[in-house]
Amino acid sequence: MVNDSFKNKENRPILTVKNISKRFGNVQALKNVSMEVCKGDIVGLLGDNGAGKSTLIKIISGNFSADEGEIFLEGKKVHFNSPSEARAAGIETVYQNSPVCINAAVYENFFIGREIVNNYLGIKFVKNKEMQKSTLDALQNIGISIPSEKAEIGLLSGGERQAIILGRFFHWGGKVALLDEPFAALGVAESRKALKLIHNVSQKGLPIILVTHNIEYAFQVMNKYVVLRHGEVVGVGEKKDVSVDDVVSMITGAIEIKD
Amino acid sequence: MKEVSDNLKTETKGQVLSFSQIRRWPEFGVIIAFIILLTIFSIFSSKFLTLRNITGILTIVSELGIMAIGIAFLMIAGEFDLSVSSVYALSGFLFVTLANKFNSPLAFIITLALAAFIGFCNGIITLRSRIPSFIATLGMMLFLRGTLLAVTGGESVSYKADAIMPSLLTRYIGYGFRPSHIWFLALTLIFSMVLTNTRYGNWVFATGGNKEVARAMGVNVNKVKIINFMLSSLMASLSGCIVISRFNLANASFGTGMELEAIASAVIGGTFLTGGYGTIIGVFFGAFLMGMMRTGLVMMGAPAYWYQAFVGAILIIAATINLKLRRLEM
Repeated sequence: MVNDSFKNKENRPILTVKNISKRFGNVQALKNVSMEVCKGDIVGLLGDNGAGKSTLIKIISGNFSADEGEIFLEGKKVHFNSPSEARAAGIETVYQNSPVCINAAVYENFFIGREIVNNYLGIKFVKNKEMQKSTLDALQNIGISIPSEKAEIGLLSGGERQAIILGRFFHWGGKVALLDEPFAALGVAESRKALKLIHNVSQKGLPIILVTHNIEYAFQVMNKYVVLRHGEVVGVGEKKDVSVDDVVSMITGAIEIKD
Repeated sequence: MKEVSDNLKTETKGQVLSFSQIRRWPEFGVIIAFIILLTIFSIFSSKFLTLRNITGILTIVSELGIMAIGIAFLMIAGEFDLSVSSVYALSGFLFVTLANKFNSPLAFIITLALAAFIGFCNGIITLRSRIPSFIATLGMMLFLRGTLLAVTGGESVSYKADAIMPSLLTRYIGYGFRPSHIWFLALTLIFSMVLTNTRYGNWVFATGGNKEVARAMGVNVNKVKIINFMLSSLMASLSGCIVISRFNLANASFGTGMELEAIASAVIGGTFLTGGYGTIIGVFFGAFLMGMMRTGLVMMGAPAYWYQAFVGAILIIAATINLKLRRLEM
Protein backbone atom coordinates (compact mmCIF):
# COMPACT_ATOMS: atom_id res chain seq x y z
CA MET A 1 0.00 0.00 0.00
CA VAL A 2 1.44 3.31 -1.01
CA ASN A 3 1.43 5.95 1.67
CA ASP A 4 -1.42 8.38 1.40
CA SER A 5 -0.66 11.90 0.39
CA PHE A 6 -0.81 14.31 3.29
CA LYS A 7 -3.95 15.85 1.80
CA ASN A 8 -6.33 13.00 2.39
CA LYS A 9 -6.21 12.45 6.10
CA GLU A 10 -9.79 11.37 5.78
CA ASN A 11 -9.47 7.96 4.28
CA ARG A 12 -13.08 7.25 3.56
CA PRO A 13 -13.55 7.52 -0.18
CA ILE A 14 -16.21 9.93 -1.42
CA LEU A 15 -16.82 8.02 -4.60
CA THR A 16 -16.14 4.35 -5.16
CA VAL A 17 -16.62 2.61 -8.45
CA LYS A 18 -16.56 -1.16 -8.14
CA ASN A 19 -16.16 -3.71 -10.93
CA ILE A 20 -18.04 -1.77 -13.54
CA SER A 21 -18.58 -3.52 -16.85
CA LYS A 22 -20.39 -2.25 -19.87
CA ARG A 23 -21.00 -3.70 -23.29
CA PHE A 24 -22.30 -2.03 -26.40
CA GLY A 25 -23.32 -4.91 -28.61
CA ASN A 26 -20.15 -6.82 -29.34
CA VAL A 27 -17.88 -4.18 -27.92
CA GLN A 28 -16.72 -4.55 -24.37
CA ALA A 29 -16.40 -0.88 -23.47
CA LEU A 30 -15.54 -1.40 -19.82
CA LYS A 31 -14.41 -4.51 -18.03
CA ASN A 32 -14.25 -4.73 -14.25
CA VAL A 33 -13.25 -1.14 -13.75
CA SER A 34 -12.78 0.02 -10.19
CA MET A 35 -11.57 3.30 -8.79
CA GLU A 36 -11.74 5.42 -5.68
CA VAL A 37 -11.87 9.14 -5.13
CA CYS A 38 -11.18 10.60 -1.69
CA LYS A 39 -11.49 14.07 -0.27
CA GLY A 40 -8.91 16.41 -1.75
CA ASP A 41 -8.13 14.05 -4.60
CA ILE A 42 -7.61 15.03 -8.15
CA VAL A 43 -7.72 11.78 -10.03
CA GLY A 44 -6.43 11.89 -13.56
CA LEU A 45 -8.49 9.49 -15.64
CA LEU A 46 -6.22 8.87 -18.58
CA GLY A 47 -6.27 6.80 -21.69
CA ASP A 48 -6.29 6.83 -25.44
CA ASN A 49 -9.34 7.44 -27.61
CA GLY A 50 -11.76 4.58 -27.18
CA ALA A 51 -10.13 3.42 -23.97
CA GLY A 52 -13.43 3.79 -22.13
CA LYS A 53 -12.90 7.08 -20.28
CA SER A 54 -16.06 8.68 -21.62
CA THR A 55 -18.12 5.59 -21.03
CA LEU A 56 -16.98 5.48 -17.42
CA ILE A 57 -17.72 9.17 -16.92
CA LYS A 58 -21.14 8.72 -18.47
CA ILE A 59 -21.91 5.82 -16.18
CA ILE A 60 -20.86 7.77 -13.10
CA SER A 61 -22.87 10.81 -14.17
CA GLY A 62 -26.01 8.86 -14.96
CA ASN A 63 -26.04 9.00 -18.75
CA PHE A 64 -25.58 5.24 -19.09
CA SER A 65 -26.20 2.49 -16.62
CA ALA A 66 -23.59 -0.18 -16.13
CA ASP A 67 -24.22 -3.82 -17.02
CA GLU A 68 -22.40 -4.95 -13.92
CA GLY A 69 -20.79 -3.34 -10.94
CA GLU A 70 -21.68 -0.79 -8.31
CA ILE A 71 -21.16 2.84 -7.50
CA PHE A 72 -20.96 4.12 -3.94
CA LEU A 73 -21.25 7.75 -2.98
CA GLU A 74 -20.02 8.44 0.54
CA GLY A 75 -20.37 4.77 1.33
CA LYS A 76 -23.93 4.49 0.11
CA LYS A 77 -24.78 2.52 -2.99
CA VAL A 78 -26.28 4.72 -5.64
CA HIS A 79 -27.87 4.25 -9.03
CA PHE A 80 -28.63 7.15 -11.34
CA ASN A 81 -31.07 7.02 -14.21
CA SER A 82 -30.24 10.46 -15.51
CA PRO A 83 -27.64 13.21 -15.19
CA SER A 84 -30.19 15.24 -13.20
CA GLU A 85 -30.37 12.51 -10.59
CA ALA A 86 -26.60 12.37 -10.37
CA ARG A 87 -26.44 16.13 -10.07
CA ALA A 88 -29.05 16.14 -7.33
CA ALA A 89 -26.97 13.58 -5.45
CA GLY A 90 -23.86 15.75 -5.81
CA ILE A 91 -22.06 14.55 -8.93
CA GLU A 92 -21.66 17.07 -11.71
CA THR A 93 -20.00 16.73 -15.08
CA VAL A 94 -18.47 19.87 -16.49
CA TYR A 95 -17.63 19.70 -20.15
CA GLN A 96 -16.75 22.07 -22.92
CA ASN A 97 -20.30 22.79 -23.97
CA SER A 98 -21.91 22.47 -20.59
CA PRO A 99 -25.30 24.05 -21.03
CA VAL A 100 -25.98 27.48 -19.56
CA CYS A 101 -28.65 30.13 -20.12
CA ILE A 102 -26.53 32.20 -22.46
CA ASN A 103 -28.75 35.28 -22.41
CA ALA A 104 -28.80 35.47 -18.63
CA ALA A 105 -26.21 37.15 -16.46
CA VAL A 106 -23.53 35.19 -14.64
CA TYR A 107 -25.19 35.70 -11.28
CA GLU A 108 -28.57 34.69 -12.68
CA ASN A 109 -27.07 31.46 -13.95
CA PHE A 110 -25.44 30.99 -10.59
CA PHE A 111 -28.73 31.29 -8.77
CA ILE A 112 -31.22 29.62 -11.14
CA GLY A 113 -33.70 27.74 -9.02
CA ARG A 114 -32.10 29.00 -5.80
CA GLU A 115 -32.84 32.71 -6.01
CA ILE A 116 -32.50 34.85 -2.93
CA VAL A 117 -35.91 36.43 -2.48
CA ASN A 118 -37.90 38.87 -0.41
CA ASN A 119 -41.40 37.71 0.22
CA TYR A 120 -44.00 40.48 0.00
CA LEU A 121 -47.59 39.28 0.17
CA GLY A 122 -46.64 35.95 -1.32
CA ILE A 123 -44.83 37.51 -4.26
CA LYS A 124 -41.18 36.55 -4.28
CA PHE A 125 -39.07 39.49 -5.34
CA VAL A 126 -35.51 38.64 -6.25
CA LYS A 127 -32.69 40.41 -4.45
CA ASN A 128 -30.41 41.02 -7.38
CA LYS A 129 -27.79 42.99 -5.45
CA GLU A 130 -27.39 40.27 -2.89
CA MET A 131 -27.15 37.54 -5.50
CA GLN A 132 -24.55 39.53 -7.40
CA LYS A 133 -22.44 39.98 -4.31
CA SER A 134 -22.80 36.39 -3.28
CA THR A 135 -21.80 35.21 -6.75
CA LEU A 136 -18.76 37.44 -6.78
CA ASP A 137 -17.71 36.24 -3.34
CA ALA A 138 -18.19 32.61 -4.24
CA LEU A 139 -16.18 32.93 -7.42
CA GLN A 140 -13.41 34.94 -5.80
CA ASN A 141 -13.23 32.43 -2.99
CA ILE A 142 -11.92 29.83 -5.40
CA GLY A 143 -9.93 32.26 -7.50
CA ILE A 144 -12.17 32.77 -10.52
CA SER A 145 -11.97 36.24 -11.96
CA ILE A 146 -14.59 37.23 -14.49
CA PRO A 147 -15.17 40.60 -16.17
CA SER A 148 -18.42 41.22 -14.37
CA GLU A 149 -20.94 39.10 -12.51
CA LYS A 150 -23.60 41.09 -14.35
CA ALA A 151 -22.24 40.19 -17.78
CA GLU A 152 -24.27 37.75 -19.81
CA ILE A 153 -22.70 34.36 -19.60
CA GLY A 154 -22.86 34.09 -23.39
CA LEU A 155 -20.30 36.88 -23.60
CA LEU A 156 -17.72 34.93 -21.65
CA SER A 157 -15.17 32.50 -23.00
CA GLY A 158 -15.58 28.75 -22.84
CA GLY A 159 -13.01 28.54 -20.08
CA GLU A 160 -14.80 31.13 -17.99
CA ARG A 161 -18.10 29.35 -18.46
CA GLN A 162 -16.64 26.05 -17.33
CA ALA A 163 -15.08 27.82 -14.37
CA ILE A 164 -18.41 29.34 -13.39
CA ILE A 165 -20.21 26.01 -13.64
CA LEU A 166 -17.54 24.40 -11.50
CA GLY A 167 -17.71 27.33 -9.09
CA ARG A 168 -21.47 27.08 -8.87
CA PHE A 169 -21.30 23.36 -8.27
CA PHE A 170 -18.74 23.84 -5.52
CA HIS A 171 -20.71 26.68 -3.95
CA TRP A 172 -23.90 24.64 -3.74
CA GLY A 173 -22.22 21.77 -2.00
CA GLY A 174 -21.29 19.37 -4.78
CA LYS A 175 -19.54 16.17 -3.77
CA VAL A 176 -17.58 15.06 -6.83
CA ALA A 177 -16.87 16.97 -10.02
CA LEU A 178 -16.10 15.20 -13.27
CA LEU A 179 -14.19 17.41 -15.66
CA ASP A 180 -14.45 16.05 -19.17
CA GLU A 181 -11.63 17.35 -21.37
CA PRO A 182 -11.66 20.79 -19.74
CA PHE A 183 -8.65 21.99 -21.73
CA ALA A 184 -9.93 20.88 -25.13
CA ALA A 185 -10.84 24.34 -26.38
CA LEU A 186 -8.66 26.46 -24.14
CA GLY A 187 -5.57 28.42 -25.04
CA VAL A 188 -2.38 28.21 -23.04
CA ALA A 189 -3.18 31.08 -20.68
CA GLU A 190 -6.71 29.90 -20.11
CA SER A 191 -5.55 26.35 -19.49
CA ARG A 192 -3.15 27.65 -16.87
CA LYS A 193 -6.03 29.43 -15.14
CA ALA A 194 -8.11 26.28 -15.33
CA LEU A 195 -5.33 24.24 -13.74
CA LYS A 196 -5.08 26.74 -10.92
CA LEU A 197 -8.82 26.62 -10.41
CA ILE A 198 -8.87 22.83 -10.35
CA HIS A 199 -6.12 22.92 -7.76
CA ASN A 200 -7.93 25.52 -5.65
CA VAL A 201 -11.25 23.75 -5.69
CA SER A 202 -9.74 20.44 -4.70
CA GLN A 203 -7.75 22.13 -1.91
CA LYS A 204 -11.06 23.38 -0.57
CA GLY A 205 -12.33 19.84 -0.42
CA LEU A 206 -14.09 19.07 -3.67
CA PRO A 207 -12.72 15.87 -5.17
CA ILE A 208 -12.20 15.94 -8.90
CA ILE A 209 -11.95 13.37 -11.63
CA LEU A 210 -10.05 14.89 -14.49
CA VAL A 211 -10.47 13.31 -17.88
CA THR A 212 -7.96 14.55 -20.40
CA HIS A 213 -5.69 13.69 -23.25
CA ASN A 214 -3.21 16.22 -22.06
CA ILE A 215 -0.97 14.22 -19.79
CA GLU A 216 1.29 17.17 -19.17
CA TYR A 217 -1.55 19.22 -17.72
CA ALA A 218 -2.87 16.28 -15.79
CA PHE A 219 0.54 15.83 -14.19
CA GLN A 220 0.53 19.41 -13.01
CA VAL A 221 -2.51 18.98 -10.79
CA MET A 222 -3.42 15.37 -10.15
CA ASN A 223 -2.31 13.38 -7.15
CA LYS A 224 -3.61 10.04 -8.36
CA TYR A 225 -4.03 8.46 -11.73
CA VAL A 226 -6.12 5.79 -13.31
CA VAL A 227 -5.16 4.62 -16.77
CA LEU A 228 -7.65 2.82 -18.97
CA ARG A 229 -6.84 0.79 -22.04
CA HIS A 230 -9.33 -1.21 -24.06
CA GLY A 231 -11.84 -0.79 -21.27
CA GLU A 232 -9.62 -2.14 -18.53
CA VAL A 233 -7.68 -0.45 -15.76
CA VAL A 234 -4.04 -0.93 -16.68
CA GLY A 235 -2.54 1.44 -14.17
CA VAL A 236 -3.57 3.03 -10.92
CA GLY A 237 -1.61 4.76 -8.21
CA GLU A 238 -0.12 7.98 -6.91
CA LYS A 239 1.37 10.48 -9.25
CA LYS A 240 4.60 10.78 -7.27
CA ASP A 241 5.45 7.15 -8.00
CA VAL A 242 5.39 7.50 -11.77
CA SER A 243 6.81 9.66 -14.52
CA VAL A 244 5.05 11.05 -17.55
CA ASP A 245 6.82 8.43 -19.65
CA ASP A 246 5.53 5.63 -17.44
CA VAL A 247 1.98 6.82 -17.89
CA VAL A 248 2.39 7.21 -21.63
CA SER A 249 3.67 3.65 -21.76
CA MET A 250 0.61 2.47 -19.86
CA ILE A 251 -1.69 4.34 -22.19
CA THR A 252 -0.07 2.93 -25.30
CA GLY A 253 0.34 -0.50 -23.81
CA ALA A 254 4.12 -0.63 -23.72
CA ILE A 255 4.09 -1.62 -20.06
CA GLU A 256 1.43 -2.79 -17.71
CA ILE A 257 1.48 -2.21 -13.97
CA LYS A 258 -1.10 -4.07 -12.00
CA ASP A 259 -1.49 -4.63 -8.32
CA MET B 1 3.77 40.49 -16.09
CA LYS B 2 1.23 40.91 -13.35
CA GLU B 3 0.78 44.53 -14.26
CA VAL B 4 0.02 43.61 -17.83
CA SER B 5 -2.61 41.09 -16.88
CA ASP B 6 -4.14 43.57 -14.45
CA ASN B 7 -4.32 46.13 -17.21
CA LEU B 8 -5.95 43.64 -19.49
CA LYS B 9 -8.46 42.80 -16.85
CA THR B 10 -9.53 46.37 -16.25
CA GLU B 11 -9.77 46.96 -19.96
CA THR B 12 -12.12 44.05 -20.59
CA LYS B 13 -14.07 45.07 -17.55
CA GLY B 14 -14.58 48.54 -18.97
CA GLN B 15 -15.74 47.15 -22.29
CA VAL B 16 -18.17 44.69 -20.87
CA LEU B 17 -19.66 47.32 -18.60
CA SER B 18 -20.31 49.74 -21.43
CA PHE B 19 -21.92 46.98 -23.49
CA SER B 20 -24.00 45.84 -20.61
CA GLN B 21 -25.28 49.35 -20.35
CA ILE B 22 -26.86 48.82 -23.76
CA ARG B 23 -27.97 45.47 -22.53
CA ARG B 24 -29.88 47.20 -19.81
CA TRP B 25 -31.80 48.91 -22.59
CA PRO B 26 -32.82 46.08 -24.88
CA GLU B 27 -35.70 48.37 -25.89
CA PHE B 28 -33.15 50.71 -27.43
CA GLY B 29 -33.88 49.70 -31.04
CA VAL B 30 -37.64 49.88 -30.81
CA ILE B 31 -37.59 53.23 -29.02
CA ILE B 32 -35.40 54.71 -31.74
CA ALA B 33 -37.75 53.35 -34.42
CA PHE B 34 -40.68 54.74 -32.44
CA ILE B 35 -39.17 58.21 -32.33
CA ILE B 36 -38.28 58.17 -36.04
CA LEU B 37 -41.78 57.15 -37.12
CA LEU B 38 -43.36 59.60 -34.72
CA THR B 39 -41.27 62.39 -36.24
CA ILE B 40 -42.10 61.38 -39.82
CA PHE B 41 -45.81 61.13 -39.18
CA SER B 42 -45.86 64.43 -37.28
CA ILE B 43 -44.11 66.20 -40.13
CA PHE B 44 -46.27 64.79 -42.91
CA SER B 45 -49.59 65.06 -41.12
CA SER B 46 -50.43 68.10 -39.07
CA LYS B 47 -53.22 66.29 -37.28
CA PHE B 48 -51.07 63.39 -36.12
CA LEU B 49 -49.95 64.91 -32.85
CA THR B 50 -53.38 65.88 -31.61
CA LEU B 51 -54.94 64.56 -28.44
CA ARG B 52 -57.81 63.07 -30.41
CA ASN B 53 -55.52 61.11 -32.68
CA ILE B 54 -53.23 60.02 -29.90
CA THR B 55 -56.06 58.65 -27.80
CA GLY B 56 -57.41 56.98 -30.91
CA ILE B 57 -54.08 55.27 -31.48
CA LEU B 58 -53.93 54.35 -27.81
CA THR B 59 -57.23 52.54 -28.10
CA ILE B 60 -56.00 50.33 -30.91
CA VAL B 61 -52.59 49.90 -29.29
CA SER B 62 -54.07 48.86 -25.97
CA GLU B 63 -56.17 46.13 -27.52
CA LEU B 64 -53.28 44.76 -29.55
CA GLY B 65 -50.74 45.39 -26.80
CA ILE B 66 -52.53 43.45 -24.08
CA MET B 67 -52.50 40.42 -26.37
CA ALA B 68 -48.87 41.04 -27.31
CA ILE B 69 -47.74 41.17 -23.66
CA GLY B 70 -49.23 37.73 -23.07
CA ILE B 71 -47.60 36.32 -26.18
CA ALA B 72 -44.23 37.87 -25.38
CA PHE B 73 -44.30 36.49 -21.86
CA LEU B 74 -44.87 33.03 -23.31
CA MET B 75 -42.26 33.53 -26.03
CA ILE B 76 -39.64 34.40 -23.42
CA ALA B 77 -40.38 31.04 -21.82
CA GLY B 78 -39.58 29.47 -25.18
CA GLU B 79 -43.07 28.66 -26.47
CA PHE B 80 -45.44 30.06 -29.04
CA ASP B 81 -49.14 30.78 -29.14
CA LEU B 82 -50.91 31.22 -32.47
CA SER B 83 -54.34 30.53 -31.02
CA VAL B 84 -54.65 33.97 -29.37
CA SER B 85 -56.63 35.48 -32.23
CA SER B 86 -59.19 32.70 -32.04
CA VAL B 87 -59.33 32.97 -28.27
CA TYR B 88 -59.88 36.68 -28.78
CA ALA B 89 -62.84 36.15 -31.14
CA LEU B 90 -64.29 33.32 -29.08
CA SER B 91 -64.02 35.38 -25.89
CA GLY B 92 -65.76 38.33 -27.49
CA PHE B 93 -68.57 36.17 -28.73
CA LEU B 94 -68.98 34.29 -25.48
CA PHE B 95 -68.86 37.48 -23.45
CA VAL B 96 -71.64 39.11 -25.48
CA THR B 97 -73.82 36.02 -25.50
CA LEU B 98 -73.46 35.40 -21.77
CA ALA B 99 -73.86 39.07 -20.88
CA ASN B 100 -77.08 39.25 -22.88
CA LYS B 101 -78.36 36.24 -21.01
CA PHE B 102 -77.12 36.98 -17.47
CA ASN B 103 -75.00 40.03 -16.64
CA SER B 104 -71.68 41.36 -17.82
CA PRO B 105 -69.43 40.72 -14.75
CA LEU B 106 -70.46 37.07 -14.65
CA ALA B 107 -70.00 36.79 -18.39
CA PHE B 108 -66.55 38.34 -18.06
CA ILE B 109 -65.45 35.90 -15.35
CA ILE B 110 -66.74 32.85 -17.20
CA THR B 111 -65.07 34.02 -20.41
CA LEU B 112 -61.70 34.48 -18.70
CA ALA B 113 -62.01 31.10 -17.02
CA LEU B 114 -62.65 29.43 -20.35
CA ALA B 115 -59.69 31.24 -21.89
CA ALA B 116 -57.46 30.08 -19.05
CA PHE B 117 -58.69 26.57 -19.69
CA ILE B 118 -57.86 26.85 -23.39
CA GLY B 119 -54.38 28.06 -22.45
CA PHE B 120 -54.05 25.13 -20.09
CA CYS B 121 -55.01 22.76 -22.92
CA ASN B 122 -52.45 24.40 -25.22
CA GLY B 123 -49.81 23.80 -22.59
CA ILE B 124 -50.78 20.21 -21.88
CA ILE B 125 -51.00 19.34 -25.58
CA THR B 126 -47.60 20.89 -26.27
CA LEU B 127 -45.87 19.25 -23.32
CA ARG B 128 -47.54 15.85 -23.50
CA SER B 129 -47.49 15.27 -27.22
CA ARG B 130 -44.06 16.91 -27.53
CA ILE B 131 -45.08 18.57 -30.77
CA PRO B 132 -43.80 22.13 -31.13
CA SER B 133 -46.15 24.72 -29.66
CA PHE B 134 -46.24 26.41 -33.05
CA ILE B 135 -48.09 23.39 -34.45
CA ALA B 136 -50.15 22.69 -31.34
CA THR B 137 -51.49 26.22 -31.15
CA LEU B 138 -51.93 26.46 -34.92
CA GLY B 139 -54.23 23.47 -34.56
CA MET B 140 -55.99 25.11 -31.64
CA MET B 141 -56.37 28.32 -33.61
CA LEU B 142 -58.05 26.56 -36.53
CA PHE B 143 -60.14 24.39 -34.25
CA LEU B 144 -61.50 27.30 -32.21
CA ARG B 145 -62.09 29.53 -35.20
CA GLY B 146 -63.80 26.75 -37.12
CA THR B 147 -65.97 25.82 -34.16
CA LEU B 148 -66.94 29.43 -33.65
CA LEU B 149 -67.87 29.87 -37.31
CA ALA B 150 -69.83 26.64 -37.35
CA VAL B 151 -71.75 27.37 -34.17
CA THR B 152 -72.60 30.96 -35.02
CA GLY B 153 -73.12 30.34 -38.72
CA GLY B 154 -71.13 33.50 -39.31
CA GLU B 155 -73.82 35.71 -37.79
CA SER B 156 -73.03 38.61 -35.49
CA VAL B 157 -74.54 39.24 -32.09
CA SER B 158 -74.90 42.69 -30.63
CA TYR B 159 -74.37 43.64 -27.03
CA LYS B 160 -77.62 44.48 -25.23
CA ALA B 161 -76.68 43.97 -21.59
CA ASP B 162 -75.69 46.22 -18.68
CA ALA B 163 -72.89 48.77 -18.83
CA ILE B 164 -70.81 47.50 -15.90
CA MET B 165 -68.02 45.67 -17.70
CA PRO B 166 -67.98 47.92 -20.79
CA SER B 167 -67.52 50.91 -18.45
CA LEU B 168 -64.72 49.17 -16.64
CA LEU B 169 -63.09 48.09 -19.85
CA THR B 170 -63.48 50.65 -22.56
CA ARG B 171 -66.17 53.36 -22.24
CA TYR B 172 -64.82 56.92 -22.52
CA ILE B 173 -63.62 58.45 -19.30
CA GLY B 174 -62.85 61.90 -20.65
CA TYR B 175 -60.58 63.64 -23.17
CA GLY B 176 -60.84 60.60 -25.38
CA PHE B 177 -59.18 58.32 -22.86
CA ARG B 178 -60.57 54.91 -22.09
CA PRO B 179 -60.07 52.44 -19.22
CA SER B 180 -58.41 50.06 -21.68
CA HIS B 181 -55.51 52.51 -21.90
CA ILE B 182 -55.04 52.25 -18.16
CA TRP B 183 -55.34 48.47 -18.28
CA PHE B 184 -52.67 48.29 -20.93
CA LEU B 185 -50.32 50.55 -19.01
CA ALA B 186 -50.93 48.76 -15.72
CA LEU B 187 -50.47 45.31 -17.27
CA THR B 188 -47.27 46.47 -18.95
CA LEU B 189 -45.88 47.60 -15.60
CA ILE B 190 -47.04 44.52 -13.72
CA PHE B 191 -45.71 42.04 -16.27
CA SER B 192 -42.51 43.98 -16.62
CA MET B 193 -41.97 43.92 -12.89
CA VAL B 194 -42.79 40.24 -12.61
CA LEU B 195 -40.32 39.47 -15.37
CA THR B 196 -37.43 41.51 -14.06
CA ASN B 197 -37.93 41.54 -10.31
CA THR B 198 -39.47 38.31 -9.18
CA ARG B 199 -38.30 34.76 -8.86
CA TYR B 200 -40.98 33.67 -11.28
CA GLY B 201 -39.57 36.07 -13.86
CA ASN B 202 -36.15 34.50 -13.45
CA TRP B 203 -37.68 31.11 -14.00
CA VAL B 204 -39.41 32.29 -17.16
CA PHE B 205 -36.06 33.47 -18.54
CA ALA B 206 -34.31 30.29 -17.46
CA THR B 207 -37.01 28.08 -18.95
CA GLY B 208 -36.77 29.84 -22.29
CA GLY B 209 -33.00 30.25 -22.11
CA ASN B 210 -32.16 26.63 -21.52
CA LYS B 211 -34.84 24.23 -20.43
CA GLU B 212 -32.40 21.50 -19.45
CA VAL B 213 -30.34 23.79 -17.24
CA ALA B 214 -33.45 25.22 -15.60
CA ARG B 215 -34.81 21.76 -14.93
CA ALA B 216 -31.50 20.50 -13.62
CA MET B 217 -31.31 23.43 -11.24
CA GLY B 218 -34.71 22.65 -9.82
CA VAL B 219 -37.06 24.88 -11.81
CA ASN B 220 -40.35 23.23 -12.65
CA VAL B 221 -40.21 24.17 -16.33
CA ASN B 222 -43.48 22.48 -17.27
CA LYS B 223 -45.34 24.44 -14.65
CA VAL B 224 -43.80 27.69 -15.87
CA LYS B 225 -44.80 26.89 -19.44
CA ILE B 226 -48.36 25.96 -18.59
CA ILE B 227 -48.83 29.09 -16.49
CA ASN B 228 -47.51 31.19 -19.35
CA PHE B 229 -49.76 29.48 -21.87
CA MET B 230 -52.68 30.31 -19.59
CA LEU B 231 -51.56 33.91 -19.21
CA SER B 232 -51.23 34.28 -22.96
CA SER B 233 -54.77 33.01 -23.45
CA LEU B 234 -56.11 35.16 -20.61
CA MET B 235 -54.60 38.31 -22.04
CA ALA B 236 -56.03 37.54 -25.49
CA SER B 237 -59.40 36.98 -23.90
CA LEU B 238 -59.25 40.27 -22.01
CA SER B 239 -58.34 41.99 -25.24
CA GLY B 240 -61.32 40.34 -26.97
CA CYS B 241 -63.73 41.47 -24.26
CA ILE B 242 -62.40 45.02 -24.52
CA VAL B 243 -62.82 45.19 -28.29
CA ILE B 244 -66.29 43.72 -28.21
CA SER B 245 -67.33 46.17 -25.49
CA ARG B 246 -66.16 48.99 -27.70
CA PHE B 247 -67.92 47.77 -30.85
CA ASN B 248 -70.98 46.40 -29.04
CA LEU B 249 -70.90 43.70 -31.65
CA ALA B 250 -69.30 40.28 -31.86
CA ASN B 251 -68.54 38.41 -35.02
CA ALA B 252 -66.90 35.05 -35.53
CA SER B 253 -64.32 36.42 -37.93
CA PHE B 254 -63.04 39.12 -35.57
CA GLY B 255 -59.31 39.35 -35.10
CA THR B 256 -58.28 37.06 -37.95
CA GLY B 257 -54.53 37.42 -38.40
CA MET B 258 -54.17 39.39 -35.20
CA GLU B 259 -51.91 36.73 -33.67
CA LEU B 260 -49.27 37.63 -36.22
CA GLU B 261 -49.57 41.32 -35.43
CA ALA B 262 -49.14 40.54 -31.76
CA ILE B 263 -46.11 38.36 -32.45
CA ALA B 264 -44.71 41.09 -34.70
CA SER B 265 -45.12 43.60 -31.84
CA ALA B 266 -43.23 41.31 -29.52
CA VAL B 267 -40.43 40.71 -32.03
CA ILE B 268 -40.15 44.39 -32.94
CA GLY B 269 -39.91 45.03 -29.21
CA GLY B 270 -36.85 42.79 -28.97
CA THR B 271 -38.30 39.46 -27.87
CA PHE B 272 -36.47 36.42 -29.24
CA LEU B 273 -38.43 33.80 -31.11
CA THR B 274 -36.05 31.28 -29.61
CA GLY B 275 -36.91 32.28 -26.05
CA GLY B 276 -34.83 33.38 -23.11
CA TYR B 277 -34.74 37.03 -24.01
CA GLY B 278 -37.17 39.92 -24.21
CA THR B 279 -38.72 42.80 -22.34
CA ILE B 280 -42.28 43.88 -21.77
CA ILE B 281 -41.44 47.57 -22.14
CA GLY B 282 -40.10 46.67 -25.59
CA VAL B 283 -43.40 44.99 -26.42
CA PHE B 284 -45.22 48.10 -25.25
CA PHE B 285 -43.34 50.19 -27.79
CA GLY B 286 -43.61 47.44 -30.39
CA ALA B 287 -47.39 47.49 -30.14
CA PHE B 288 -47.31 51.28 -30.20
CA LEU B 289 -45.31 51.23 -33.38
CA MET B 290 -47.89 49.01 -35.04
CA GLY B 291 -50.83 51.14 -33.94
CA MET B 292 -49.06 54.31 -34.97
CA MET B 293 -48.36 52.97 -38.43
CA ARG B 294 -51.96 52.02 -38.94
CA THR B 295 -53.28 55.53 -38.35
CA GLY B 296 -50.18 57.40 -39.45
CA LEU B 297 -50.13 55.94 -42.94
CA VAL B 298 -53.78 56.67 -43.48
CA MET B 299 -53.35 60.22 -42.24
CA MET B 300 -50.43 60.71 -44.58
CA GLY B 301 -52.79 59.81 -47.38
CA ALA B 302 -51.48 56.35 -48.17
CA PRO B 303 -54.10 53.71 -49.03
CA ALA B 304 -54.89 51.57 -45.98
CA TYR B 305 -53.58 48.52 -47.79
CA TRP B 306 -50.05 49.78 -47.42
CA TYR B 307 -50.26 49.17 -43.70
CA GLN B 308 -49.49 45.47 -43.98
CA ALA B 309 -46.62 46.04 -46.38
CA PHE B 310 -45.16 48.52 -43.93
CA VAL B 311 -45.57 46.20 -40.98
CA GLY B 312 -43.73 43.53 -42.93
CA ALA B 313 -40.86 45.84 -43.78
CA ILE B 314 -40.60 47.23 -40.25
CA LEU B 315 -40.68 43.72 -38.80
CA ILE B 316 -37.72 42.60 -40.90
CA ILE B 317 -35.76 45.78 -40.24
CA ALA B 318 -36.47 45.74 -36.52
CA ALA B 319 -35.59 42.08 -36.09
CA THR B 320 -32.34 42.64 -37.97
CA ILE B 321 -31.43 45.68 -35.90
CA ASN B 322 -32.24 43.89 -32.67
CA LEU B 323 -30.00 41.01 -33.63
CA LYS B 324 -27.22 43.38 -34.71
CA LEU B 325 -27.44 45.18 -31.40
CA ARG B 326 -27.06 41.88 -29.61
CA ARG B 327 -24.06 40.96 -31.74
CA LEU B 328 -22.52 44.28 -30.89
CA GLU B 329 -22.73 43.25 -27.26
CA MET B 330 -21.01 39.97 -28.01
